[in-house]
Amino acid sequence: MSLLLMAPALLLLLAVFFWPMLDYAWLSLQAQTVFTGLKPVPVGLANWERLLGDGRFWQDAAQTLRFAVVSVGLELLLGLAIALLLHQSWRGRGLVRSLSLLPWALPTTVMALGWRWILNDPNGPINGVMQSLGLPSLPFLASTQLAWLGVVLADTWKTTPFVALLLLAGLQMIPTDLYEAFALEGGRPWQGLRRITLPLLRPYVLIALIFRLAQALGVFDLVAVLTGGGPASSTETLALYAYLNAMRFLDFGYSATVMLGMFVLLLASALLLVLAQQRWQGARP
Amino acid sequence: MSSSPLRQRPALLRISMVALLLLWSLAPMLWQLYTSLRTPESLLAGLAGLGGGWTLANYSAVLQADPPFGVYLLNSTVVGALSTLLTLALAIPCAYALSRRSDLLKLVIGGGLLAAAVFPYVLLFLALLQVARQLGLANNLLALCLPYAGLSLPLAVLLLQAAFADLPVELEENALLEGFSLGQRLRWILLPLIGPAVVSTGLLVFLFSWNEFPIALTWLSRSELLTLAPAMARIAGSSVFTVPHGAFAAATVLGGVPLLALLLIFQRQIVAGLTQGAIKG
Amino acid sequence: MQSAALGGSEPGRDLRPAARQAWFAVGLGLGLALALLWGGLAWASRPTTVRLLMPAPFADATAELVESFNREHRGLRIAVTRGPFETESVSDLAISSLLLGDSPYDLLLMDVTWTAKYAAAGWLLPLDDWLGPEPLAPLVAGAWAGNIIDGKLWRVPMVADMGLLYWRTDLMAAPPRTPTELVAISERLQRQGKVRWGYVWQGRQYEGLSCVFLEMLRGFGGNWESSGEGLGTPAATKAASWLRQLIVKGISPAAVANFAEPEALQSFEAGEAAFMRNWPYAWQELQGPSSRVAGKVGVTMMVAEVGEPPAATQGSWGLSVLAGSRHPAEAVQVLQALTGEASQRLLVQRWGYSPTLTALFDDPALVAERPLLPILQNALESVALRPLNPGYAQLSDILQRQLSSVITGELEPALAMERAGRGSQLLLEASGRGPGQ
Repeated sequence: MSLLLMAPALLLLLAVFFWPMLDYAWLSLQAQTVFTGLKPVPVGLANWERLLGDGRFWQDAAQTLRFAVVSVGLELLLGLAIALLLHQSWRGRGLVRSLSLLPWALPTTVMALGWRWILNDPNGPINGVMQSLGLPSLPFLASTQLAWLGVVLADTWKTTPFVALLLLAGLQMIPTDLYEAFALEGGRPWQGLRRITLPLLRPYVLIALIFRLAQALGVFDLVAVLTGGGPASSTETLALYAYLNAMRFLDFGYSATVMLGMFVLLLASALLLVLAQQRWQGARP
Repeated sequence: MSSSPLRQRPALLRISMVALLLLWSLAPMLWQLYTSLRTPESLLAGLAGLGGGWTLANYSAVLQADPPFGVYLLNSTVVGALSTLLTLALAIPCAYALSRRSDLLKLVIGGGLLAAAVFPYVLLFLALLQVARQLGLANNLLALCLPYAGLSLPLAVLLLQAAFADLPVELEENALLEGFSLGQRLRWILLPLIGPAVVSTGLLVFLFSWNEFPIALTWLSRSELLTLAPAMARIAGSSVFTVPHGAFAAATVLGGVPLLALLLIFQRQIVAGLTQGAIKG
Repeated sequence: MQSAALGGSEPGRDLRPAARQAWFAVGLGLGLALALLWGGLAWASRPTTVRLLMPAPFADATAELVESFNREHRGLRIAVTRGPFETESVSDLAISSLLLGDSPYDLLLMDVTWTAKYAAAGWLLPLDDWLGPEPLAPLVAGAWAGNIIDGKLWRVPMVADMGLLYWRTDLMAAPPRTPTELVAISERLQRQGKVRWGYVWQGRQYEGLSCVFLEMLRGFGGNWESSGEGLGTPAATKAASWLRQLIVKGISPAAVANFAEPEALQSFEAGEAAFMRNWPYAWQELQGPSSRVAGKVGVTMMVAEVGEPPAATQGSWGLSVLAGSRHPAEAVQVLQALTGEASQRLLVQRWGYSPTLTALFDDPALVAERPLLPILQNALESVALRPLNPGYAQLSDILQRQLSSVITGELEPALAMERAGRGSQLLLEASGRGPGQ
């Protein structure tokens, strides 16, 4: 009976999450391009051979990884700071907490268009501030070196509130007597942060890390609207490359291959993370 | 609860931190608001031209474009509402059944749901595009709710399952003794009790469907059917030589206002939903 | 009916309300019928609308033509959709609806590099049956290339561009004919301090780089075939090497690795360089008030080795009819109007585009207005076409990537070109068009 209740939801889930992976596995062994009249034709491992030698794929993988690590790192730091701030009780805390959620509530593509203007050279506000300080204006979105930083900034702004809220939930689970006992023994606040808060917050940091890392490795919306892959593909991510392969180059087989490659990289990152966490767990007494 | 070891911080420091937080969170959007009310010339003049150069022309341009901006908001609302209803309709029975089990299947399904919740769904766009092409589901706002419901189910089931699990078992046992059927138990006892969780979950699903981009981008091509996210992308690519920043900013503000309003009105429920998700996750 | 329900009225007076109601019903019915008839007639006689998607610059340029067409033709209307500014974005927009089988457009203004892709995908209507015999006869021979694939006509070109070599008439008697001459003249002028740089061109990693490379590849005796082959050859290595040497010898600035058309034009306009490679539009800009070299500029074909004909990469935009169009006949009519003589004349005179019709190149009045026309006609005769291959966009990307590494000095030319060749081969095999497929 309970299976019957679960069935519709589970069926839809299988259809939406599981079947595509199988489909991609099959599709990566086909050529479905304009050459084949957009019909699938088996070509064995040709797509995979092409993937291994594809400079653009590996460049995008490196760029995506760089973006994810930097962005998530910043989010964790900022998120922790915000969570600590919101954890104390003061007047208006509730309202501030809701207002700080604003970046997260706004659709990514809506605000991405806004960021284009904010990062504009030379008329955007950031460059305006820099120029008034006597600094030269930076071509954020036109420079192959700087564009990815613009993406990091926009992504950090959008998702930090989510991380902050997650960590805040974790902070609220820490029993207050721990701090009181610690203070009685002469411990100072900063030490309390290091010895009590951070260790007990670890599981929440881990959740936030896994969640955000997976999302960041798959970043698409922001890059598509903010830079379109950036000057000379310098901000192009794997998800965007996969999308372009299908919708611009009409190469469905290769697009599926790229996405499977991305999936493999994702699993590898998750595995590394889990292993690192074990090490971290084991190293601390 | 004032339990943090940092409670020793002087109030001035805290106030400045709060101000910084508010500035960081609100400034970008406020800048869009400012830009949307300025004429193109005044934008290039900088702070010097603050006296004049205010206009509503950007908003009228966006609201009277072809198609008018309001159409996108309407489409997003329709898709959002229907997706939410569909998701809840599917998630509630599933969550209930799951919460009443404690076997290996529950662990497997729970783990699977967690993995699905973390999975970057943009990877699914190609397979879903093929489905749309083969089954003719393209350019159809109703059909779009199907993948949206599927994508929202993991989070919805996890949240609702936790809510069901929090209810004391005796409540249901008594109802069973009194002869209530499953449907009646759900309708009269359980759902009202987990009402807040349902509302929170519904809000999160609604927010997700407004935010969703890759599936909408590939399933919808007719400009009058676009939801907000792909519409913004199309607007972003439409400039010629001088980028109409004012009009873009107006579009950004109009696109952001509905969800901002939603956030402010339902702030407690949304925060509760996210927090619950964190704890149970 | 109703009078019976009311009941109780006198028989005489009963008739009047009944008659009134009857007349009312008849009147209503008649009015409804008339309205339906009117609506039906209006519906049937509403003008057929042909929908056309063009990049925004072209939509603006042809706005006048479209308006006058709509005025002259009662039953036929052109509705132009002003597409995005970026070339690729226009194609993306068209593809998104074509892939879903639900395209609202009848006509598409296509870049020459898209035609093969769209035709292979089955999205275009072959125009041979619609345009009569020899439809491309009025066009300059060089404009024919890129429209006929597999023996069928898919596109009629409206404007044509080609890559040209701009040179400073005040600094030399005659332009160079070979790469060696170009280098020699540049070095001499730079040594004499007359110019800072010898030669500015587009070296950024984008489609423009492929255009530049094709001209040099042809100049050194090679070719980039429609099959995608031609990059892993000695000629390709020579071409890539020559481009790199320009920077090594200081003839071109290292910044050329970031130059697109505007940057190269800016440099030449300021008098910093002796030579520039650019498209015909640059000529107008160079005669403008802010130009330091107005009146001192000559235009000629790109250099080529002795024994090799000079090459000019062709860029052109033309109209195609989409296969799913519900009004193919009307679409063809619009196509002919917009690619016809009157239309092209306006585009040349008002907007500075280059035409494709022989008649316009031979028109003395037009030539007097636009002195560059004979040179453009000459260049069109030696046009070089980028591979007419459905996978061209990906092939070009592979070339750009490798070539960019050569230009920045990160990779040796021979190795880079070999990789480009191998990458192209892998791409074609994985796409179902390898040898034997």
